[in-house]
Amino acid sequence: MEDYIVELTVNGERISSPVKPEESLLKFLRRNGFTEVKCGCEKGECGTCTVIINKKTVKSCIMLALQARGKEIWTAKGLEKQELGRKLQESFVNTGAIQCGFCTPGIIVTAKNYLDQNPIPDKGEIKKAISGNLCRCTGYKKIVDAIYAVAVENQKSI
Amino acid sequence: MEKQQFDFIGKSFDIKNIGKATGKEIYTCDVNIPGQLYAVVLRSPFPHAEIKKIDYSQAEKMGAICISGDDVPDILYNERIVSIPEKTYRDRTVLPKDKVRHVGEAVAACAAETEEEAFMALKKIKVEWGKKWRPLINLDKAMDPDALQIYDHVYLGEERVDINNNIACERNVDVGDIEEGFKEADEIVERTFSTQRVYHMQMETKSAVCVPEADGGITVWTTSQGIHNVRILLGNIFNIPLSKVNVKRTTLGGSFGSSIQMNSITPICVALALKAKRSVKLVTTREEDIYDHSKYPLKTILKIGAKKDGTLTAAHCRVWVEIGGHNIQAYPYLGCVAGWFASLYKWKNLKYEGTAVYTNKVPSCAMQGYGNPQINFAVESLIDILAEKLDMDPIEIRLKNYVGKGDEFWGQGPTVRSIIRSCGVEEMLIEGSKLAGWDKRTLPSKKKGDIRRGIGVARGFHTSGTGGPNPGEVIDYSGATIKINEDGSVDVLTALMDHGGGTWDAGAKVVAEVLKVPYSKVSIYSGVDTRTTVFDVNTHATRGVYCGCGAIKYVAEKVKEILLNYAATLFKDLPENLELTCNEELGQAVICPRGIPQNYMTLGEIAEHAHITSWGTIAHTATLRQKNCPPCFITHFVEVEVNTKTGEIKVPRAVIMGDSGTIINPDLWEGQIIGAFSRGLGFSLLEETKYDLNNGKLECNGMITDYKIPTTIDMPKVGSITVRSAHTYEPTGPFGAKGMGEAALSSVGSAVAIAIYNAIGIRFYELPITPEKVLKALKEKEGR
Repeated sequence: MEDYIVELTVNGERISSPVKPEESLLKFLRRNGFTEVKCGCEKGECGTCTVIINKKTVKSCIMLALQARGKEIWTAKGLEKQELGRKLQESFVNTGAIQCGFCTPGIIVTAKNYLDQNPIPDKGEIKKAISGNLCRCTGYKKIVDAIYAVAVENQKSI
Repeated sequence: MEKQQFDFIGKSFDIKNIGKATGKEIYTCDVNIPGQLYAVVLRSPFPHAEIKKIDYSQAEKMGAICISGDDVPDILYNERIVSIPEKTYRDRTVLPKDKVRHVGEAVAACAAETEEEAFMALKKIKVEWGKKWRPLINLDKAMDPDALQIYDHVYLGEERVDINNNIACERNVDVGDIEEGFKEADEIVERTFSTQRVYHMQMETKSAVCVPEADGGITVWTTSQGIHNVRILLGNIFNIPLSKVNVKRTTLGGSFGSSIQMNSITPICVALALKAKRSVKLVTTREEDIYDHSKYPLKTILKIGAKKDGTLTAAHCRVWVEIGGHNIQAYPYLGCVAGWFASLYKWKNLKYEGTAVYTNKVPSCAMQGYGNPQINFAVESLIDILAEKLDMDPIEIRLKNYVGKGDEFWGQGPTVRSIIRSCGVEEMLIEGSKLAGWDKRTLPSKKKGDIRRGIGVARGFHTSGTGGPNPGEVIDYSGATIKINEDGSVDVLTALMDHGGGTWDAGAKVVAEVLKVPYSKVSIYSGVDTRTTVFDVNTHATRGVYCGCGAIKYVAEKVKEILLNYAATLFKDLPENLELTCNEELGQAVICPRGIPQNYMTLGEIAEHAHITSWGTIAHTATLRQKNCPPCFITHFVEVEVNTKTGEIKVPRAVIMGDSGTIINPDLWEGQIIGAFSRGLGFSLLEETKYDLNNGKLECNGMITDYKIPTTIDMPKVGSITVRSAHTYEPTGPFGAKGMGEAALSSVGSAVAIAIYNAIGIRFYELPITPEKVLKALKEKEGR
């Protein structure tokens, strides 16, 4: 099938690349070097490929690259450039919320977008917010703690 | 031994996981080689069928490179070479040559310029199937003398072994005389237990990348718990000198035992790369991964006897395990199950009979515990039943009979044994019972209402490594190269793998502690492969800290000796008169004559001196075999809430007590225990890979949509899991440490089942305990 050109912004940088109509956004991003977007199931189940598109979290394996034309996408690597993203990354490290780390980029992306919209949630709300991201190593407790620590810090600064 | 004061051990640092948090960490699936081909695998839709012919000419016409059974070496191998060769069963080739033995078994593979082209080509491969048979799914049918044989014969080491009744192997152990033991007993209880097949569901699916080198060698990246065994296997299978096989140590996206063996796709990727003479990348899908590996299920008939006062007199344990279509490690598994069984309580007289049976299912392999959670479920459940019959407190009967300090522990079956030198069992049972409010526990008959709460206790353990005073059937040693850089920072080169539990962090802390170098200046995290490291068997058997870091400590101490000898020439003094400490202000290790701190030199200055005078590098390389296998103990107090209307079970609270000796990484230690608890809840309540009896396919079809693992919502409320450590010190471990990893899972299922009994008065002998099973059992109870 014919290739289309997709232009979009990833982590603030403009990307332009030919794609096949059936290519998923996940494959497109990984092919363009964004390997922090992990592939865990390609069925929209595990959440490892979560990215932020126009302030919504999306599982990039079940979205076509073509559907993301012209959109603004943020991945875990790009969050380093943003204060909240960086705080979350540091909090995950300091809390011991990371084991194998394969789910981590997707969870941090989910948490960042959630905290942007809900700056001071309680732990129960955080649990719900990340319930679409699977982690097999940690049992989630320290992940919730890590996100909560950032939320508490948010609360202080408000 | 006295507890020591540490500079680095036991402290939580800003660990070097920032690469994982920012997404910069490179896993095998992230490795890309310019000009690589993409590989995909054709898998069998049939559970048991003859392959007559595979024709891939049409696929090759499309430009793809293809392989089938005819293209791979005839070498029969076992993908797990942790056991000594004469105890290793061999039944497989890289791709099957005559028949497939489970749905999802690879039959052919092809590589092309893009993944899409590879898939298009794959569709053109024609397989001419011969006879197709109904699958042998359950254990009893497979063992039926009239059942079709899945194998005619296999090899044990170099010896040919005929397979009868699909029995892959057997293992029996006798200690004392159980007939006499049961005669002494006042109470005898016997029950049948079974645990299910569980999928590891490590987040990263299996991947491999292979680069064929100009000199005929290969460079390989692959998901693996032990890169040296992959090197040895690939060298042997493809007849390449081991010096020309280089396997890169790459971060693992979870494993839980699923990559102790070389993964089935690794040699497929290599065979394609060798044929194509191009680099090849192979990343499996989730569906392929579910059809690749499984936890060993176990059926157990257990009989135990005790005197009126609770003293155990005898135990008879018969187990059957169905292993699927290949024998990866059933023989050592049966040995280990015997060991876990024998080491839980002082049975005095015991008889163990273990049988492993081939079926037409996904090959089973180790998954956190290697039979320990399975046999623990049987033993701890039956001990609870016995306590009730004897009218004893469940904690009292355990305290009376547990195997502890001074007793013998079987760390890896009957051939790997050592004496227990540290044990927190008593402390954990007593302190845990206080934290859990054990004295407030009421009998099942006292519970009322639709929602009933119950509390249960179970204890378990795992070995720390597979070492003993005498080497047994299991290969166990680790090693490292440690060098001091010209600025006083330290490089640690080791093949030791980290699953994410903090093994590398522990290694860095051990080196920092010995050499008094700030932890942030020790690098252990990346850049090594089989060529730059000495052998390390594998991160399995909870051996990472005890054996792996034990070896690292040994090498670091040698480096310290070399360092002090060299420094002595600079100080014009004797090495024993010098003192090595960490100077936090300088952010450096410093050496001074003992008692004269002002006359110090920094490690950087000393290393720089050795450099500019051309003395050389302060460095050492060695391997070490640990000569003990100390158990790390665990105790689970679990509270459950059973909804008698819906059958749903929630876990509102848990108290978990762990005994790892000195704890090197407190954060990750607790994280491992809670992580194992979540996998344990999956094992107890949710997870099972069920098979269609007619077509041998998985009922979940390989989809995690239909294979549920715990999400955040299934876990107890944050803050309601209490984790505490016993106060112990393992004299044979690095700085008093032993393991934790697998122990943390061993008694979760048992404690949950026992708590359910305490809530509703019904015993469950089969996992998982699903709402359907609970409702059915409640109805049956009411009906009586």
